Amino acid sequence: MAPDGALRALADLTGAFVPLSLRDLASTLEDRLDKVPARLNEYGYDPFGMSPAAMRRALLPAAWLYRTWFRVETAGIDRVPEGRVLLVANHAGQLPFDGSMLAMAMLLEAEPPRLVRGMGEYWIPRIPWFNILATRGGQVVGTPESCQALLEADECVMVFPEGVRGISKPYRKAYRLQRFGLGFMRLALETGTPIVPVGIVGSEEQQPAFANLSGMARMLGMPALPVTPTFPWLGPLGLLPLPVKYRILFGAPLRFEGEAAEEDHLIEVRVEAVRTAIAALLERGLRERRGVFR
Amino acid sequence: MEKVLLTGIAGGQGRLVARRLLEGFEVCGVDRVPWEGRPRGVTVHQVDLRKKKFEDVVRTEQPTAIVHMGFIRHFRTDPRLRHDVNVRGTKQLLDHCIHYGVQKLVVLSSGYVYGAFPENPYNMDEDHPLSASRSYPEIRDLVEVDTLATAFIWKYPHIRTCVLRPVNILGYYVQSMIGEYLRQPRVPTMMGFDPMMQFIHEEDICEAIALALAHGLQGVFNVVGPGAVPLHTAIRETGGRAVPLPEPLVRPLFDRLFRLGLWPYPAGAIDFLKYPVTLDGSRFVEATGFKPLFGLQEIFQSVRRE
Repeated sequence: MAPDGALRALADLTGAFVPLSLRDLASTLEDRLDKVPARLNEYGYDPFGMSPAAMRRALLPAAWLYRTWFRVETAGIDRVPEGRVLLVANHAGQLPFDGSMLAMAMLLEAEPPRLVRGMGEYWIPRIPWFNILATRGGQVVGTPESCQALLEADECVMVFPEGVRGISKPYRKAYRLQRFGLGFMRLALETGTPIVPVGIVGSEEQQPAFANLSGMARMLGMPALPVTPTFPWLGPLGLLPLPVKYRILFGAPLRFEGEAAEEDHLIEVRVEAVRTAIAALLERGLRERRGVFR
Repeated sequence: MEKVLLTGIAGGQGRLVARRLLEGFEVCGVDRVPWEGRPRGVTVHQVDLRKKKFEDVVRTEQPTAIVHMGFIRHFRTDPRLRHDVNVRGTKQLLDHCIHYGVQKLVVLSSGYVYGAFPENPYNMDEDHPLSASRSYPEIRDLVEVDTLATAFIWKYPHIRTCVLRPVNILGYYVQSMIGEYLRQPRVPTMMGFDPMMQFIHEEDICEAIALALAHGLQGVFNVVGPGAVPLHTAIRETGGRAVPLPEPLVRPLFDRLFRLGLWPYPAGAIDFLKYPVTLDGSRFVEATGFKPLFGLQEIFQSVRRE
């Protein structure tokens, strides 16, 4: 048990030098994580490998980004119903800070706090250590089976139906919603899940991209290779987002009825309703903001 | 009184199942090795499933039910022999069921047949494809056995055939790959990976088999225990010490050592230390009302060394 003791001593020591506000944030996080409704076994894990205890430290950077860097404001978060729910949002900004800020909002501001489940990329489970972090934080590989299992377990799942089309788009297409995938609607119909449209304002300006070198990205096996004012010119530093102001607007829950196996064009009609709701939220968010950074 | 025949009756799990079934059945069995100190009333025939002598046993014993669990699951024998015993032995057994009026058949397959892959969803149901051979060709015989038995359900619907796919079985008596792995003094794991693993106690497997027979179940069923924990938690709770190894280095090494016969696990087994294989057992629960008696802590306690 010696390494454990040494680790704890080290953690205490760093704790002593951490600014007070950060320590406050850490204890808020711990408190919120304790309140997350979850079905944990005697070892503190849920069936999907999520563990609130393992996330105490790991979520601190995201919480700091939420409070200090992006100064996130939310509207209508009380509209998210209890039980199974799909949060459907616009996707932008080259790196998925929008996903982590949405998840943070649900953890820090929703009552009761929810641990949002994300649908991760297929390559995440192959990456050493990172796969453990993602799993403990409640992320699963984005297969329809996984999403259905999560919804049937009454979890809160976030999806970005624009996918790579949305997050990797250049700045000139900012706040123009790209084509939506249909999978989320079929799952919602299959599992009788309400959909909460979410508009995220701010993400478009965090890393404005001039271009996306998709040919080069394919060669390197990456999903996209954006060129921004800071990336790749400043190296890893260029990955840091601008300290834009984030606003996350939640719409009224939408409930759809019908068969999951219906023809594409019938599903598209319902998807369009969600897309329109998100567009309206974005428009409102853009109208209300006073600037990109405030 | 119904008579049940067990294959692999002298193995750790076989003995437990035999004792459990004695409560409601007349029990006989076959194995390649004898069972010293077996309970009274249990007859054991030392035969090879592939040989005519096994057919003679089925003909003379006239069991109404067969529980098929006599598989070679370790890698210490010649792989060709292993394949032949498991696959051809099963094929012969299925033929005997048709010819000698067996009414119920329970085949103890395993959850490994789904295979360990990065894209595996959590809680896979019975319709998930059996892909283990893709990354772990050494256990393709067990996938074939499962497929043979599953096809048998549809070909001969008058025989109540039930294929059980349990999660990792642990216990004091059972000789399972996972038990052997966890009992090592230093347990090799893959650096940066810690997949969720489900466990079930050997006594609960006996209960599941008894329930399958009592209900005359027909179909394919995952059998899931009390829950899942990360691999490293299981190692800690069984009193072992995990030794994380860098996979790019050890995979070729283990592969070489296994081929030379110096290491008991093929390289394909490594994926089960990286990716989750967790099953949804609700179909079996709905059909039988099965509820595992042993919790996770008790399961780990049963294989804990001091």
